Amino acid sequence: MNALTIIFYIMAVLMVVFSIMAVTSRKLLRAAIYLLFVLIGVAVFYLAVDYMFLAAVQVVVYMGGILVLIIFSILLTSHLGERLQVVKPTTMLFAAVLSLVSAGVVISVINGFTFITSTFEGDKLTVAHIGQQLLSYDQFGYVLPFEVISILLLAAMIAAIAIAKYKHQGKS
Amino acid sequence: MNIYDFTGLTRSIHEGLSSSMSPLAVTVTEFVIIAFAFMIFFTILGLVLVYAERKICAFFQLRLGPMRVGKWGLAQTAADAVKLIFKEPMITKNADKFLFNLAPFIVIISTFMALGALPFAKGLHALDFDIGILYISAVSSIGVIGILIAGWSSDNKYSLIGAMRSGAQVVSYELSVGLSLLTIVVLAESLQFSEIIASQEAGWWIFRGHIPALIAFCVFMIAGTAETNRGPFDLAEAESELTAGFHTEYSGLKFAFFFLAEFVNMFIIAAIGATVFLGGWMPFHIGHWAGFNQIMDFIPPIVWFFGKTGFLIFLMMWFKWTFPRLRIDQLLTLEWKYLLPINLINILIMAFVVLMGWHF
Amino acid sequence: MSFSDFLLMRNELLLVAAAVIILIADMSFSDENKRGLYNISLLTMIIITVLGFLPAPSGKLFGGMYITGDIYILMKNILNIATVIVLLQSRGWLEKPGQQKRMGEFILLLVSVLIGMSYMISSGHFIMFYLGMELATIPLAALAAYELNKSKSAEAGIKLILLAAFSSGILLFGTSLIYAAAGTLYFEGVMAILDSTAFTTLGLILFFAGLGFKISLVPFHLWTADVYEGAPTNVTSFLSVASKGAAVFILVIILNTVFKSLNDVWDPMVYALIIITITIGNLFALRQRNIKRFLAFSSIAQAGFIMLGVINDGGLGMATVIYFVLVYVFSNLAAFGVAAAIENETGKESIDDYNGFYRTNPRLSLVMMLAMFSLAGIPPFAGFFGKFFLFTAAAEKGYYILTLIAVLNTIISLYYYLLVIKAMFIDKNGAPIGYFKSDTAMQVSLVICILGIIVTGFTSGVFDYMVNLSQQFFLTLQ
Repeated sequence: MNALTIIFYIMAVLMVVFSIMAVTSRKLLRAAIYLLFVLIGVAVFYLAVDYMFLAAVQVVVYMGGILVLIIFSILLTSHLGERLQVVKPTTMLFAAVLSLVSAGVVISVINGFTFITSTFEGDKLTVAHIGQQLLSYDQFGYVLPFEVISILLLAAMIAAIAIAKYKHQGKS
Repeated sequence: MNIYDFTGLTRSIHEGLSSSMSPLAVTVTEFVIIAFAFMIFFTILGLVLVYAERKICAFFQLRLGPMRVGKWGLAQTAADAVKLIFKEPMITKNADKFLFNLAPFIVIISTFMALGALPFAKGLHALDFDIGILYISAVSSIGVIGILIAGWSSDNKYSLIGAMRSGAQVVSYELSVGLSLLTIVVLAESLQFSEIIASQEAGWWIFRGHIPALIAFCVFMIAGTAETNRGPFDLAEAESELTAGFHTEYSGLKFAFFFLAEFVNMFIIAAIGATVFLGGWMPFHIGHWAGFNQIMDFIPPIVWFFGKTGFLIFLMMWFKWTFPRLRIDQLLTLEWKYLLPINLINILIMAFVVLMGWHF
Repeated sequence: MSFSDFLLMRNELLLVAAAVIILIADMSFSDENKRGLYNISLLTMIIITVLGFLPAPSGKLFGGMYITGDIYILMKNILNIATVIVLLQSRGWLEKPGQQKRMGEFILLLVSVLIGMSYMISSGHFIMFYLGMELATIPLAALAAYELNKSKSAEAGIKLILLAAFSSGILLFGTSLIYAAAGTLYFEGVMAILDSTAFTTLGLILFFAGLGFKISLVPFHLWTADVYEGAPTNVTSFLSVASKGAAVFILVIILNTVFKSLNDVWDPMVYALIIITITIGNLFALRQRNIKRFLAFSSIAQAGFIMLGVINDGGLGMATVIYFVLVYVFSNLAAFGVAAAIENETGKESIDDYNGFYRTNPRLSLVMMLAMFSLAGIPPFAGFFGKFFLFTAAAEKGYYILTLIAVLNTIISLYYYLLVIKAMFIDKNGAPIGYFKSDTAMQVSLVICILGIIVTGFTSGVFDYMVNLSQQFFLTLQ
C-alpha cells in the first residue's frame, strides 16, 4: 500500500460520491460544481500515472473550458432559488434499477477481463514527443484527425452563429 | 555561480529526511514543509504587495499614502489583516451558502497551484514539470470558476454582473496570455521553466527574439493585466457602477482571500513574464562577454528574479493608475479584434524567424 | 508519403475546397439577394459529384488512418448525389424573404456535414470515425434548429444534439472497451487482435447502440419522429437519406472488417433488431397523420429492411445495402420533395390536406405516387428490386423466418403507403390545395429522382457493378 494507492482510492470514492451528487442535486449550479470535482479527480488520476500533459489538458479543456461554459450558461439562464423539477418516483425507481443493473453488468464484465499491463512509463513521455506525434503523418501520427478537428470546430462555430444571428422579426 | 545554487540545499534536506523515515512519511513531510513555506510566502507577498500598491498609487496621485501605523505606514497592511480576521463573516439571507463559502477557496487554491510552479532561483522551485507553462495556464484557468460562482451565489445583481464581466474577460484574455507565451516557447523549444531559463544563458529572449519577442511581451503585459482583472481592465469591480463586483457581499477573511488572490495573481503574471521574457533568475548576460557575465553572476539569482518581477509589478501598477477604465465592449474588441490576430500573426513570424535561424 | 498521395482524398479535399469557396463567395453577395451564391454552390457541388465518378486510385493514407477504394468512392458518390438533390429542393425555401441572408450558412453546414460523412466512411481508425461522425452530426443539429421562429424546429435541434451527445457517449464507451481489449484503435490492428469474449461483446454492443441511434433502429428511434417533424423539411429529407445512409455504410464496413471475428455475437443482435425495427416502424407509421412524422416512421421501417443486407455479412449483403440506399435516396427524396413543395406553398403538413390533390396538381401527385410505390416495393420500380435483393441476401444465409417476417411487414407497409395515394387520388375534398407551380430547381430535382427510381430499377448493370465491387472489397480483406 503506497501513497499512490491510497490517493487512488480516496479519489475514486470522492469521484463516485460527487458523480452521484451531481446527478441528484436539484440546484443546477451545484451540480456543475460537483461535476468540477469529478473532473479534478480524473486529472489527479492522470497525474498519478505521470501523464502530466494529459492532466494539464484535462484541466484546461474540461475545467477551464467546458465547465466555465456550462457555468456561464447556467448564470445566464437560471437564478438563485431555482430548483430542478423532481422526477416522478416511478421514473426515478426505474432509472435507478436500470443504472444499477447496467453498472452491475459492466463491472462484472470488466472484472472478468485481464488487462494487458502497460510497460510504458508516463514520465518518459515528453511534450516534444507528443507534439511530433500529433503532427506526424506516418502510422500512429495524428495529423489527419488534427486537421479534421479544425474543420469540425469551424463548422460548429458557423452552426452556432447561424442559430444566434437570428433576430425576431417584427420586434425592434 | 554555484554558491547561489539551491539544489544542494534541497537535496540535503531530502536525504536527511530519507535517512530517518519511510518513503511515505518523507513525501508527506515534504508536502507539509512546502505547503508551509508557500503559505508564509503567500501571506508576506500579499502584505508587501498591498502596501506597495497603496504607496505607489499615492505617489502617482501626489499623496503620501499610509503613514500612521509604523514607520512610513509599514505596518498598515498587517494591521488591516488583523482587522479583517476579526470582522464578522456575513452571508446574505438567500445566498447559496455552500457555493458562497466554496468560491474563495477555489480562487485561492488555483492561485496556490500556480505559485507552486514558479522558479524563484536555481534549484528553488516546488514543481518543475515538463509542461510548466501549460500547467500554469491550466490551473490559473480554474480561478474564474470561483469568481463566477461567487457572483452567482451572493444573490446580488452587482455581484452577478461583475462575475459575468470578469468571466468573459478572463476567458478571453487567457488566450492571448497563452499565445504570447507560446511565441517564446517556439524560441526556447521547451515548456519547462527550468529549460526556458537555461536557454536564456546567453541573453534574455526579449532582446534576442527581435521584434516578435517585443510584440509578444507587450501583448503579454496587456493581456496579463486584463486576466488578473486589474485596472484599466477592472470592470469586474468597477466601484462606481458595481460597488465592488463579484465580492460585494463578502466580508472578513473570505474577502481577504479574494483580495489576496488578486494581488498574488498579479505577482504570478509578473513572475511568468519575468521568467519567460526576461530570463527569470538568470542574471543579465550579453553573449560571450565572459568578464561582464562573471560580474553579473555575483548578484544572487533570487535578487534578479524578484528585481525583474518587481519591475513588472510596478509596470502593472503604473498602468492601473494612469489609464482610464475601458468599457466592456472596448475590452472585448481589444482582445478579439486586435490582440488575438496580432498574436497569431506574431507567432507565425516567430516560427519563421526560428526556422531561418535569424534570432541571436 | 508524397504529395500525390493526397489525391486519394480527392472527394474530401474537393469538398473542403467547396466549403472555402462558399465561405468566400458568401461575402460578395448582398443579404437580400443571394441567388448568385446559390448558383455557385450548386455548380460546385455538381462538379464535385461528377468528378466523383472519375476512376480513382485506392489505398491507404496516414498509416492506415484513411482508407479508400472503389466501394468507398461509390458510397460517397451516393451521398454526393443526395446532397445535390437536397440542395436543389431547398432553393425555394432558401430564397424566401428573410431567409436569404442565412443561405450561406445553410449551404456551408450542409457541405461540412457531407465532409464529415466522407471522412467517417473512409476512416481506418476509431478516432477518425468518431470525428467524422461528430462532424456529420453537430452542424446537422444546427440545421434542424434552422427555422428559429418555429419552436418545433428548436425542439428538433435540441433533441438531435442531446441524443447525438448521448449516443456518442455510449459509442465512445464501447470504443474504449475495444481499445482496452485490442490495445490499438486502427481498424486493421483491432481486426487482427479482437476475439470473442464477454468484454469485447460488451464493447461491440455499446458501439452498435451508439450507431443504432444514427440509423434510428428501434430501441434507439425515439428521437426520430420529433426531429423529423420539427426540422425544416429539406433538412429532414437530408437527415433521412444521407445521414442514415452514411451511418449504414460505415456500419456495414465496420461490422465486416473490425468485428468480423465477433460475427456470432452481432448476427443474432441484428436479427432481433430487424424484427422489432420493421414491426414497430410499420405499426407506428400506420397511425400518423402528419406527412413528416409518417415518413419518419416509414424511414425507421426502411432502416430495418436495410439491416437485412447487413446480416448477410458477405459481398452480396454489402451490395444490396448500397443498392437499397441508392434507391431509397431517390424514392425518399422524391416523397420529401413533394412534401416540401406543398409545405413551401401552403404550409400544410397533414396527409388529410392532400385530399383531392390530384385534381389540382396532377404532376406532383404522380411523383408522390411513384415515390410511394417505390418505397412500398411495388414491382416495376426500383424499390421492389431493392427489397427483393435484400430478401435474397437474408435468405442466402438461411434466415427464412426473418425473411418471411420482413415480407409480411412489406405487405403492411403497402397499406399505409397506399393511404397517401388514396388521399391524393380518391378522397374527395371540397377545398383542395390550389394549383401551384414549384420552382425550376425543385422540378429538376423531382425529375432526377423519378429518373433514378426508374433507371436504377430497370438497369441490371447498376446492381451487378455493386456486387462486383463488394466482392472485390471482401477479397482484399482476406
